[in-house]
Amino acid sequence: MKKLFGNLVKYRCMYIMISIGITFLIIFNYMPMTGLQIAFRDFRPGKTIWNAQWVGLENFWFLKDAEFWRVVKNTIVLTVTRFLFSFPAPIILALLINEVRNNKFKKAVQSITYIPHFISWVVVAYMLESLLAPTDGIVNQIIKSFGGEAIFFMGSTKWFVPVVVIASVWKEVGWGTIIYLAAISSIEQEMYEAASLDGAGKWAKVKYITFPCLTPTIVLLLILSMPNLLNAGIDAIYPLTNNANLEVSTVLDVYVLRNGMQLGKYSFATAVGFISSVISLLLVLSANKISNKITGEGLW
Amino acid sequence: MNKRDSANYRMKQSNGEKIFNLFNTMFLLALCALTIYPVFYIIVYSLNEGMDSLKGGLYLFPRKFTWFNYQYVLGNGIVQRAYLITIGRTILGTVLGLTVTGITAYGYSFRNLPYRKFLMAAALIPMLFNGGLIPYYIQLSNLRLVDTFWVLVIPGAFNIWNMFVMMKFFMGIPESLRESALIDGAGEVRIFLRIVLPLSKPVMAAIGLFVAVTHWNDWYSGAFYVNSTKLMPLQTYLQKLFSADSLGMLAGNNQTVAEAAVRGSESSTMTIMSVKMAAVMIGTLPILCIYPFLQKHFVKGMLVGSVKG
Repeated sequence: MKKLFGNLVKYRCMYIMISIGITFLIIFNYMPMTGLQIAFRDFRPGKTIWNAQWVGLENFWFLKDAEFWRVVKNTIVLTVTRFLFSFPAPIILALLINEVRNNKFKKAVQSITYIPHFISWVVVAYMLESLLAPTDGIVNQIIKSFGGEAIFFMGSTKWFVPVVVIASVWKEVGWGTIIYLAAISSIEQEMYEAASLDGAGKWAKVKYITFPCLTPTIVLLLILSMPNLLNAGIDAIYPLTNNANLEVSTVLDVYVLRNGMQLGKYSFATAVGFISSVISLLLVLSANKISNKITGEGLW
Repeated sequence: MNKRDSANYRMKQSNGEKIFNLFNTMFLLALCALTIYPVFYIIVYSLNEGMDSLKGGLYLFPRKFTWFNYQYVLGNGIVQRAYLITIGRTILGTVLGLTVTGITAYGYSFRNLPYRKFLMAAALIPMLFNGGLIPYYIQLSNLRLVDTFWVLVIPGAFNIWNMFVMMKFFMGIPESLRESALIDGAGEVRIFLRIVLPLSKPVMAAIGLFVAVTHWNDWYSGAFYVNSTKLMPLQTYLQKLFSADSLGMLAGNNQTVAEAAVRGSESSTMTIMSVKMAAVMIGTLPILCIYPFLQKHFVKGMLVGSVKG
C-alpha cells in the first residue's frame, strides 16, 4: 500500500496525463458496456439502465427468428465477399507498382490511387448513383451501346453486393498498398542481386523473395481485419441502402440501428448488438490463437 | 557485384519482361483512369445544365456550361450553416483530439512506469469489445450530449489507435534528451511542451490530418446523435439529401421567396441530380484541394502507425 502510494506520488505527472485518456475511455467505452445489461431488461424511455425491469432472455427471441438469420446471412455474404476481394487487391497492386521502373510514373500512380481513401462514403454513394443511373448513367449507356439492356444497379438485390465490393476495392486498394510498399522497400536489395546472378527471372524473384518477405505483414493485417468480419461498416453500407435492396442490404449494424434508433426497441437492438459483439470477440481471439500457433506471431 | 554490373544486368530485359512491363503500365494507367473518373464525372455533371444532362452522353466535358448549380447550393441557408458546423467541428475536434490523445500518449510512453501494463490493458480492451450502438447512445443521452454541437466533437477526442501511434513515436525520442532537461530543472510539463512536442511535429501533423479528415467526412454522428437541422454537418446534409427526390429538402425553410423569384428563370434548367452533384463537390473539394500538398504527411502517418512494436 505504501509502495502504491509512493509510486503514485513519484510518477504523478504521468498518471495525471494517462488519466485524461482513461477518463474518456471510462465515459465513452466502459460505461456503455454496463449498458449492455438492458439486453436482459425491458428498457423504456423514462427508465435508466439500472432500474428497468429484468426480463431474462426474453429479448433474445430473435435467435429463433428467420428474419434475424437472414440479416446474419446478409452480413456474412457481404463481409466475406468484400474481404475476399479487398484483402488481396492491395497486395497485388503493391507488387505491380513495385515493378514500375519509372519513378515519376510510380509516384503518380500512388498519389492518384490514394485519393479515394479520403472521399466519404456518402459521396461514394452519390458517385454510384450517378454513374449507375438507369437512363443517363455512363455504365448503362455503355451497356446499351453494346445492345444490352439497362440495369437498375442500385435498386436490385442481385447487384447490391457486387456494387459494394467494387466500391470498397475502388476506395481502399491504393491506400492499402502503402504498408506493403513500405515492407517491400525494406527488403534488402542484395537478395535480388544474388538471385539475379543465379539466373532468377522476375517471377521467381517475386515468388521466392518478395512474397515470403511480405508474409509477416500479410498475416498481421489479416488478424487485424478479423474483428471486422461481422462489421459491415454502417458508415459504408447505410447510405447505399434503399427500399428496393432492403432484402440484401440489411446487415447487422443496419438492423440494430433501425430497430433501436428508429423504432425505439432499445432492449431488443442491444441484445442483437451484444450477440454480434460476442461473435466478433471470439473471431479475434481465435484468429490470434491460430496465428500464434502457425506463424509464432500474433497480436499478443 | 559493383554498381555498373548490376546496372548492366538491369538493361538486359528478356522479351517476356518487356511484354510484362508494357501490360503493367497499361493496367496501371487504366486503374488511375478508373480511380479518377467518378470524381471527374461529378465535376462535369455539376457544371452542366441539369435538363441537358438528362439526355445522356455526358462523358468528358460539360455541354452547356453553367455555374448555376453551385450558385443554387451555396445560396442555400441550410448548406451555409452546415458548412460552418463542419468547419467548426473539424477545427475544434482536431485541436481537442490532438491535445487529449497526445497528452495521454506521452504519459503512456514511459516504459518503466509502474502499473503500465495494467493501464495498457485498460486501453486495449475497448479495441476488442464494446457496448454497441444503443448503450453508447444511451450514455450520450445521459451525458446530455445528444442534440448539442459537442456530441460532434467530444466523444471522438480520445482515439486509442492514434494514441498508440503517438506513443510509439514518443518512445523513439532519446531518453537522454529528457534526462538532461530534468537535470536542468525542467518539469515534466515543460519537457513535453518544449522538447517532445517540437520533435513530434511530423507525427502530430499526420495524425492531425487524419482526425481532420475523419471529422470532415463523418456523416454518422450528425445523422443519429443530432436532430435539429441547425446542427447538421455538411456530410449529414448530403446523406439526407441523397434519398431526397424533390428539391424541397434542399430549399428548406431558409430559401426566401425573393431569392426564388430571382432565380426562377434559370432554375427551370436545373434538376435534383445536377444540384446534388454540385452539393457533393462542395463537400469534397476542400479535401481534394489540400490532398496534393499534404499527401506526404498522410503516408508518413500511415507508416508510423504500421510499425509493429
